[in-house]
Amino acid sequence: MAEQELITISEAAEMLGVSIDTLRRWDKSGKLSPIKTSDAGYRLYSRSQLELFLHDPFGLAKDWVLKGTEIPSDFYCSNSAVFQTRLTRMQDLLAGVKELAAIFPLVVAAAGEIGNNSFDHNLGNWPDTPGIFFAFDISKRSIVLTDRGLGILATLKRVKPELNNDEKALEVAFTEILSGRAPESRGNGLKFVRKIVAENPIGLLFQSGDAELTLTKDSDVLDIKHSAEPFRGCLALITF
Amino acid sequence: MKIELKKFGTTLISRQNGREAFAAFQPQLTALSENENLELDFEGVITFSPSWGDEFLSPLLKKYGSRLILINTSNPSVKATLELLEKINQAAFKVH
Repeated sequence: MAEQELITISEAAEMLGVSIDTLRRWDKSGKLSPIKTSDAGYRLYSRSQLELFLHDPFGLAKDWVLKGTEIPSDFYCSNSAVFQTRLTRMQDLLAGVKELAAIFPLVVAAAGEIGNNSFDHNLGNWPDTPGIFFAFDISKRSIVLTDRGLGILATLKRVKPELNNDEKALEVAFTEILSGRAPESRGNGLKFVRKIVAENPIGLLFQSGDAELTLTKDSDVLDIKHSAEPFRGCLALITF
Repeated sequence: MKIELKKFGTTLISRQNGREAFAAFQPQLTALSENENLELDFEGVITFSPSWGDEFLSPLLKKYGSRLILINTSNPSVKATLELLEKINQAAFKVH
C-alpha cells in the first residue's frame, strides 16, 4: 500500500470545505502547501496532511498514550527505520520553508533525539504496543512524538537507582549529563533538546508519568509540575 | 586523511546508524599513518544529532585527540551537537 494517498486540489477543497482559490492563496501564504506538484504542474495534497490540518494530532497522541485508542497508520512508526524515513521526509519539507532556513536542522535533530530515545530505551522492553506516534504539521509549526514505553523514571533508574519520582527524573533527564556508559549507552539527547530550545525560537512540552515539563522558546527556565493526567510512556510537543 | 561525512547520509541522527557508520569506517582507518591528521568534513550534512555523534565522534576524539580535525561545521545542528559532545567527553574538538 502506498504510504500516502495523493489527492487533487478540488478533492482537497471539498475535504476542507473551502474553495480552490482559497487553497491557492493558502499555498502562496504558506498556510497550507501541497505535498508535491505533479509533472503537469497540478498541486497534489495527501489525505493525512489534510486530516492533520483538520484534526488535532496532540489530542490523538494523548488518547493513544492514555487509553490505547487506535491511531492512524500514517502516524505510527513501529520501528526506528520507519521513524528515520518519516523524519527525513519532514526534514525535506521543512527545508522548503524559507522562514525556517536558520533553524530547521535543529527542529529535526530535536525530534530525532526524542523519537530515538523512545526506541533506544524501550527496545526489548515495550510493555504493550511497541513503537511511537509521530505526526508533524508544518503549517501549524508543530510536531508530536509519543510512546507507550516504560517512561523516563523507569529507564533512568537503571543508571540512577536512587530516583523515586517522575518530576525528579524529568529534571535529571533534561539537566544532568550522564557519562557512564554502563549498563546502557546514553545519548544525553534531552539535554541537547533543552539547549537548542533555550537558544532558539523552539518550544517544548514533555510529559512522562505524572510529571510535565515546559520549555519556553528562547529561555532556559525548566518548568516542571505535577500533571493531572498521568500515564506510562512519554508525550512530546515541539513548536517552532 | 579526509572523510566526507555526507557519504554516511545527510540525516545523521540515531545511535544505531552512528554505530553502523563507525563500524563501516574502521577498515579505512587502518590506512591512516602514525602522525597523519584525520579530517572529518561536515559539508552536505543537513541534520546531525548527539546520538549519532556520540557513537561516531566520541571514540575518534578519545583515540586521536588533536589529530582529529573537523571542517565545515557551520550547520546549527552540527554546532549544537559538538558543544554537547565536548561537555560529555570533557575534551575539545579541533575545528578548522
